[in-house]
Amino acid sequence: MTAPAQTTFESREQRREGVRGGEDVREAALRVSGLVKRYRDGTEANRGIDMHVGVGEVVSILGPNGAGKTTFLRQVTTELRPTSGSINVFGEDAIAAPLRAKRLMGITPQEAGVFESLTVREHLELFARLKGLMKIEARRAACETAEELELGAELSKRVGTLSGGQRRRVLVGLALLGRPPLLVLDEPTTGLDPASRRAVWDVIRRAAARGATVILSTHYIEEAARLSDRIGIILAGRLVAFGSLEELLERLERSYRVSYRDPVDALGETRARYFASFAEARLHVETERLSEYSIARASLEDVYFTLTGQRPEEKEFEEAACAV
Amino acid sequence: MRRLTDIMCVFRIQLAGMRGEAGPFLLAAVVFPSAMYLFANAVRGAESGHDDNRLRFLAGSIVFSLSLTSISWLGYLMLENRFTGRLKLFATMPLAPSSYVFGFLIFALAQAALSTLTLLAVGRALGVSVSPNLGALALVIVLTVLSLCGLGVIVAARARSFTEGSMMTDALGAGLVFLAPVYYGPEAMPQALRMFSRWLPTTFAASAVQTTLAGGHEILPELLALSLMTVATLALGLRLMKWRED
Repeated sequence: MTAPAQTTFESREQRREGVRGGEDVREAALRVSGLVKRYRDGTEANRGIDMHVGVGEVVSILGPNGAGKTTFLRQVTTELRPTSGSINVFGEDAIAAPLRAKRLMGITPQEAGVFESLTVREHLELFARLKGLMKIEARRAACETAEELELGAELSKRVGTLSGGQRRRVLVGLALLGRPPLLVLDEPTTGLDPASRRAVWDVIRRAAARGATVILSTHYIEEAARLSDRIGIILAGRLVAFGSLEELLERLERSYRVSYRDPVDALGETRARYFASFAEARLHVETERLSEYSIARASLEDVYFTLTGQRPEEKEFEEAACAV
Repeated sequence: MRRLTDIMCVFRIQLAGMRGEAGPFLLAAVVFPSAMYLFANAVRGAESGHDDNRLRFLAGSIVFSLSLTSISWLGYLMLENRFTGRLKLFATMPLAPSSYVFGFLIFALAQAALSTLTLLAVGRALGVSVSPNLGALALVIVLTVLSLCGLGVIVAARARSFTEGSMMTDALGAGLVFLAPVYYGPEAMPQALRMFSRWLPTTFAASAVQTTLAGGHEILPELLALSLMTVATLALGLRLMKWRED
């Protein structure tokens, strides 16, 4: 089966909007309808998720532990059979024809092992062959992917000798082989050091620039904000929000945050309060006679905490808290 | 063609994995069976000099080797893939579960060829007189390996944990040899066990290997039985091995 041609867009905005030359060209890379996953013990991990992801979009899925992100992605990647609902990958029914759907996907599972005895080159080449690449193509793809992931110097090393971060990058590399039109990455950067994380971000950006559609789950809000055209937030098995960063920010009634130190407790923790307008925020600063403060537009983090009911309003708030 | 490539890739991945695990394979395929040959010879005492006995012990050791490599060792590798997350790598590929299983079967057949040839060389070095009917022996080995591998696949696909699975494969790998008339005749077994052991694949395998090692070729019943067992165990194993969870 031939992979669908990748649509190229001139800019990230065009990709998100699905507009090129004023014409709506967005087609569905992934169309999920009414997705429900109910386990035998009655636990509902996904409760009717609908999602339409356009070709070339980068979509991040956020949510607390146990919210149903991985369950959702495992169903998309055909690893888990949904209780009900439908999943279409570039028009292929992923439930009825999982192999055909998987030919269009590059997948990095959240937890997967590697073959310690294989070299990085063998790993990439052999799995490229499993993706249907010819021998020469597989060899080339292995080298290119390793270079992209800054693993070029490790090609001849056994995977067992690599660091945890390098192994994770090998796993991401397996998804990239053959340049599939849809990448599904379940927490691709978890456990990576900052440099490795940036290397993976660059790879995702390059894949998206080539026209690939990317769906990733992450616990890093910064990652979602930096990489994504749209962000979905899953909570208790439901997709409670799905939109661009701007669209999500618009959902906040009070979207100005004042971060400050209590004037009577200068050594205390940073606190935060939210206001509907900049003027209200400014008024609060003056009323409270705050001397050490900052006023900023709310971020994705604020949206996330608000939607998940974890907003640290009026509570001690640590500026550094970024990972959720 | 695509399917063949997939199968050979799985085979090559497992073969490359052997670089770090040659020791356990040699133990299972050659060292233990050779030791069992010597042990059986020693226990048999004065009678052990008989060619028939020595041939039986060598045939028994070959079947023991096939059982250990096909069930215990192969099952262990499949369990390891499953419970260390390596299986997920295959599951994320556009690869049919049956191609994964067939890749393992090719791997098992390659191991069986290596271990059988080594044990024949060991037997010759120890003075066992054999005049094998190689074609028939190869057929018996293939069917024995496939039927036993089917059991390994079933255990690997159904085990609830790595510990449970590896205990099962170890017990089956050794148990199928010691509960069957492999190293000794059926007359030495309790009546109830004799009835049960008649239907074990290792019973048919030991009889057929011994016959072919002696140059005989009257092994049709054994081949039929092993073929039926191959179809049954592999069909069930392939049915149980799937990528998608319910």
